[in-house]
Amino acid sequence: MADDRTLGEALAQRGISRRSFLKFCATMTSLLALPPGMAEVMAETLARTRRQSVIWLSFQECTGCTESLTRSHSPTLEGLMFEAISLDYHHTLQAASGTAAEAAREQAMKDNYGKYIVIVDGSIPLNAGGAYSTIAGRTNLDMLKETAAGAAAIISVGTCAAFGGLPHANPNPTGAVAVSDIIKDKPIVNVSGCPPIPVVITGVVAYFLTLGTLPELDAHGRPKVFFGDSIHDRCYRRPFYDQGKFAKTFDDEGARNGWCLYELGCKGPVTHNACATTKWNGGVSFPIESGHPCLGCSEPNFWDAGSFYQSLPTPTTSVTGAAAAAVVAGAAVGVAVGAVSRRRKSQAAKARAPLTVDDLK
Amino acid sequence: MNGLDAIGVRVEAALPAEAFGYTAAILREIESLLAGLVANGRAGRIDLRSLPLLPGDEERLAAVLGEGEVDADIQAMGATRVRETAVPGVWWVTHANADGQTVAEFIEVALVPEILKAHPEDVRAGRNILQERIADLIRGGETDG
Repeated sequence: MADDRTLGEALAQRGISRRSFLKFCATMTSLLALPPGMAEVMAETLARTRRQSVIWLSFQECTGCTESLTRSHSPTLEGLMFEAISLDYHHTLQAASGTAAEAAREQAMKDNYGKYIVIVDGSIPLNAGGAYSTIAGRTNLDMLKETAAGAAAIISVGTCAAFGGLPHANPNPTGAVAVSDIIKDKPIVNVSGCPPIPVVITGVVAYFLTLGTLPELDAHGRPKVFFGDSIHDRCYRRPFYDQGKFAKTFDDEGARNGWCLYELGCKGPVTHNACATTKWNGGVSFPIESGHPCLGCSEPNFWDAGSFYQSLPTPTTSVTGAAAAAVVAGAAVGVAVGAVSRRRKSQAAKARAPLTVDDLK
Repeated sequence: MNGLDAIGVRVEAALPAEAFGYTAAILREIESLLAGLVANGRAGRIDLRSLPLLPGDEERLAAVLGEGEVDADIQAMGATRVRETAVPGVWWVTHANADGQTVAEFIEVALVPEILKAHPEDVRAGRNILQERIADLIRGGETDG
């Protein structure tokens, strides 16, 4: 059934104060790097707006993306986004099932044609006529094409929807592809990550609802405001990289001292995401802060980019030397290291090097 | 007078060396926002999280601005603390989530920070609640009598 309430009405009925909502908007403007004065504009605009119809399609995926958004401690500021939208279809979360569930999707499409947002998590299998993943007897490909036709915009949540993800990994038995490989005539935002950061999903939706447009995107279709910097750029361990101090194993002195994890295979220099700034689990930490190298999960083909525990660029002279030069020459050397890293990553993707037990020793 | 000579220049007093880092620049922006507030009542806000602050900047900024008369706590999806600085009209607003993690931090230049004000819709709802409570009170009094 269509939800005609405005967001302000929905908030009031849930007993959520306007102060809470203003706080949510202030946090969003800060995260989205919008002018700070936009908080009140965002709050007033959203409060008067009929809740945005959202159709969430889950295809070839593990439900980790939905878990990321919903499994946070409640109540949260991020969770407030569920008040701002009318989630008209999400086959994991909705109470209805079978015919009733599909009818809800069709009704939402009819009521909001040209205006609804489609969120997709999971890749789309094309092999065997799409038979590897079906919903209500229909292939993911068929359902995506039909639903996307009336969408105002599509948000590809997670690396699977954005780039094909794990199902796309070599040898890609299902013929998995990204949403953008199929839909060419709709604006698409890729919110990659395995899973993506909840507040990044929320931020993109808030941006669209407030400004009626999508944020500026990078070359991979990701919002620059969250994916503009590499993990390496914003990592709190970066000073150790600059000083040439590296952990060599997971239990040596360097690891205990919290030194840079570059030589343990950290993909931070070639990975763009907001983990180092927004962090995870209510801002508690992120993988590097917990002592593990970045896997690069928000980048295309990360699964096929060689071992997670192999250092990216070959430290020919020495990483310490390159790092010292980076301090002197600024970003130029950092960019050069990044270029070497990307080239090596690309080579690894071509000659796939599966993870072995030796890598973990 | 022609060329560059026609451009009016105002020389600002130099700030002490310990105010360097980004502190001096932020203080200048706050001063500019205060000038706008005085001139036309326009409020402004600086997002401290959006600035590449250097170690010590925030402490220096807090030391220069000082502490004022108001220190308000708001419980709204986590704690929010609103502190007036020793410079009237300049407020330090810190938003935390339900887990106590700071999620946003602003310097707000305003007569009263927005988050402290009651929203007109809430006031309208509040009036309805009060009317119901008055009616309940009167009904209770009639029953007692």
